[in-house]
Amino acid sequence: MRAAAVLRSTVPRAACRTGDATAVVSRGMATEKQILGRIVATKNISKITKSMKMVSASKLRGDQERLAAARPFSKWTETIAAAPVLMENLDAATLPKHTLILPITSDRGLCGGINSTITRGMKRLDLAMQAQGKDLSLLIVGEKGRAQLGRALASSCDRACTEVEIPYTFATASALAAEILKTPDADAVLLVYQRFRSAIAYETSCKLLINLTKLEQEPMVEYEFEPDTKSEVLQDMYEFTLASSLYHALMENATSEQSSRMNAMENASKNAGEMIESLTLLYNRARQSRITTELIEIISGAAALETK
Amino acid sequence: MIGHALRRSAPALRASLRHMSTAEAAKPTGLTLNFCLPHKPIYVDKAVDTVIIPGVAGVYGVTQGHSAVISEMQPGLVKIYHEAGGEPENWFVSAGFALTHPNSVTDITAVEAVKVDDMDPEAVKDTFNQAKSDLAAASDEKERVAAQIQMSTAQVMGQALGLNLSA
Repeated sequence: MRAAAVLRSTVPRAACRTGDATAVVSRGMATEKQILGRIVATKNISKITKSMKMVSASKLRGDQERLAAARPFSKWTETIAAAPVLMENLDAATLPKHTLILPITSDRGLCGGINSTITRGMKRLDLAMQAQGKDLSLLIVGEKGRAQLGRALASSCDRACTEVEIPYTFATASALAAEILKTPDADAVLLVYQRFRSAIAYETSCKLLINLTKLEQEPMVEYEFEPDTKSEVLQDMYEFTLASSLYHALMENATSEQSSRMNAMENASKNAGEMIESLTLLYNRARQSRITTELIEIISGAAALETK
Repeated sequence: MIGHALRRSAPALRASLRHMSTAEAAKPTGLTLNFCLPHKPIYVDKAVDTVIIPGVAGVYGVTQGHSAVISEMQPGLVKIYHEAGGEPENWFVSAGFALTHPNSVTDITAVEAVKVDDMDPEAVKDTFNQAKSDLAAASDEKERVAAQIQMSTAQVMGQALGLNLSA
């Protein structure tokens, strides 16, 4: 209506640019357009997180099957090395003078707390070992660990292994074991990884592999060895145990990473959904108040004209 | 009527069960076998009678009550006898370890294992010939050793299949 158009330009409004439906209304409240912008951005993010969650869920199934197939293989290592312990229960006194520690982390982010838990545990372990006069060197597996531990424990970081091809195979583990064995003065190797308990739970575990050839007392006296050269067999067995345990740890960590990412993306999608709901309410309120204001102007303008 | 039938059959059933349980008790507990590969477990906690293992120092057999032994395996045949005097199940293994514990549990861990029935003689011959030509073309020590290992593995695989491959 012509009258309304005239009125819109002449009626003053607090803190605004000239008569614009998207102008900032009083008290600096966000305009409709801005809220709409936020809604659209949040919807896009929730689309990404939902698809990431579905991808992780499908990868988790594959990883779980591989882990179930790999778990029996590492049972035999419990004759040679101790079973894995929770990192919070790890006593630094059980570690020898020089230990090579392998924290296993992920390459990609957006995976929940799996990497930061390992970093925290490693920092605590470093302090505990320094208190006992033992030293450690790190071979970090995974880009995230390299970035976090490279800052936190820079002096101990020896080597890093990133962008390993997934899914992990025994060949990968063997190659990594060969690299580890190039450390001549390590008395033991400690694998730190996230053990997969269920789709919603993982626990930081440590597996200690003591180099049997470096022990003072003769280990495993109750067994005969074939061939008779016990030290050679022990060396070979240590290498094989290392590769097997490493393979198992990589499998467990990969499965934990997928389940953690799935949960993180699920939470992100849920939060995005809640945010969209509250923003939509805000948007509707802003829209309704704009419409009401326009109606009031029109009506008061019309009333003013009538009384004239 | 059903109750009547059950009352009649129950004693017979109980008698047969009693027979079964004493029979189980009479059978000696055999060897417990764990035969696992990194990517798949073949047998977990399987009760078998005898296992023949290709150790580096020689082929030996393990039955229940065998002394504790840790042996490195060379590529060869693992023969599993599920019952005494039965037909063996033949698996060709790449290297690995075989541990026999004092409690008659045997762990056989290998990097790869295939049933001999699943092996293709032609593929084995091809592998052998390929390794032979690789050996001839080898330029450094590493390549030579790798070719030699492949050749001897192919030879052992051939033996398992009854082929006689020679350099």
